[in-house]
Amino acid sequence: MGTNQTAAIKDVSLSDNALKVAQRIGSLRDFLDFLAEHGQCITWPEAVLPEPDIRDIAVAAGRDAMNGPALLFDDIKGYPGKRLALGVHGSFTNLALLLGHPKGTTIKELFYDIISRWGSDKPLLERVPMDQAPIHENRIDSNFNLYDLLPLYRINEYDGGFYIGKANVVSRDPHDPDNFGKQNVGIYRIQPQGKDIFTLLSVPAHDMGRMIIAAEKDDKPLKIAVMLGNHPAMAMFAATPIGYDESEFAYASQMMGSPLRLTDSGNGMDILADSEIVIEAELIHGSRQYEGPFGEFPGSYSGVRMAPQFKVTGISHRDNPIFENIYIGKGWTEHDTLIGLNTSAPIYAKLKEDFPEVEAVNALYQHGLTGIISVKNRFSGFAKSVAMRALGTPHGLMYLKNLIMVDDDVDPFDLNQVMWALSTRTRADDIIVVPNMPMIIIDPAAEVPGKGHRLIIDATSFMPPDKVGADAQIVSPPGGPKIDALAKVIQALQQEQQGGQS
Amino acid sequence: MNSCPRCQSEQSACRVEHEGRDAQGELVWTVYYCTACSFTWRDSEPEESIVYAKRDAFSRVDLNKQYPVVMPPPNRD
Repeated sequence: MGTNQTAAIKDVSLSDNALKVAQRIGSLRDFLDFLAEHGQCITWPEAVLPEPDIRDIAVAAGRDAMNGPALLFDDIKGYPGKRLALGVHGSFTNLALLLGHPKGTTIKELFYDIISRWGSDKPLLERVPMDQAPIHENRIDSNFNLYDLLPLYRINEYDGGFYIGKANVVSRDPHDPDNFGKQNVGIYRIQPQGKDIFTLLSVPAHDMGRMIIAAEKDDKPLKIAVMLGNHPAMAMFAATPIGYDESEFAYASQMMGSPLRLTDSGNGMDILADSEIVIEAELIHGSRQYEGPFGEFPGSYSGVRMAPQFKVTGISHRDNPIFENIYIGKGWTEHDTLIGLNTSAPIYAKLKEDFPEVEAVNALYQHGLTGIISVKNRFSGFAKSVAMRALGTPHGLMYLKNLIMVDDDVDPFDLNQVMWALSTRTRADDIIVVPNMPMIIIDPAAEVPGKGHRLIIDATSFMPPDKVGADAQIVSPPGGPKIDALAKVIQALQQEQQGGQS
Repeated sequence: MNSCPRCQSEQSACRVEHEGRDAQGELVWTVYYCTACSFTWRDSEPEESIVYAKRDAFSRVDLNKQYPVVMPPPNRD
């Protein structure tokens, strides 16, 4: 590690343990080993059928959002020698370990850790020559067969096909292909449509959607690289909404606080040198094929649509590669854990620019379809103004459908406290319905796909000049770090004394 | 396999994509793809997924219906 990198790592102000973990983990394999050491990754001990066994086991593991383990399958019937990883980001404990925290770390603590890393502008990227990059240990240039390469399976019973749900897709602006900053890395669902063809679902609001539209309009080629089995920071942070001209590679490295190793793909993209599998492909101009349904993160199936197609042009993979996929469906699933905090953080950062009174943002639920914001209420109606601003943040534009505003002494990550606020602070007319707003097309509560109503519930304290409820004297139990620490001591004593009795 | 479990297209519209075999080379399952409606299935799946009559009606595809087009491509005419 060079001097510049050391200096940059200090810039993100990580703890010693976070630095140690960040420096140890350079790939998915490293992370799975690390999780296994902490009892957070298990290898399934029996042979499984692709359907329904994999789905059943993934759903069962996902029930424990705090402590569920990652799953590694290495005995899949019909796929001898193939390996599949699920649930890698499936619990908050797995995220805590990745960020250098111990087991028992709370969601609120993780939120503030991510906030503390936010704003670092010191990307930590290293270049690795192609001939030294593990991803290119094996190369396929013809006779592609995605069903042979990957242990594919149906994620939900009525999915239209065997989806790839956790790929990081790299693409470059077709009008500015040499601009590293305009290189997009995003997670898009991919449905194989044959041995060497797949559809990729995007919408015009996505960077990828903009690129597809531009490429077809001006007859420019659009090449992509589909990275599978990636550094866990890439999967975790690539879904964070950042600016069109910001690099997700740079962002992920600075958030993780350790270098990401990049190399070239066979079709000229920057890819992670230590990914497990990379599929290179090119947009088939003007071609649309049936895509869907797919059991999506709102917990319902998306419809069937005609989606753009891509043709595979090359494949690289490591020796004995691990195909990493995800279970998505009715919550709680790995998808919620994977992107929840990284949905919350940018909303918080944007709000904080205008309203320093904002304390925390919990947008964990279904990619922020419901958000809970705690704010120090300055005067009557203030929280509603903050809520309206939240609807105008980049993520809020399409996603923040239900907003619950609570006081700054209410922990938005503690639903018992949120329910207290709803029960005692909310009046029936203390809500706002904002009609006919933009909405994601897969939200089943939309009026029509892409358009629907927003709801703001003000559950903050009554403030002057509002006289209603002004006589309420709120009990102020002790709180803050001292009580948080005591709660952990009690948990530890419980485990210790239970162990002593067994 | 006589027809597509999703759109009921005839066998001639469906092609074999891959045969899964065990370590000894014995056939375990076969993956099919319907060129009419793009459905992919494996013959070892539960019947709820691969038998037309047992599939929930919403999950079927009517080839006579117009489905929404994601980002319609520019008209070159």
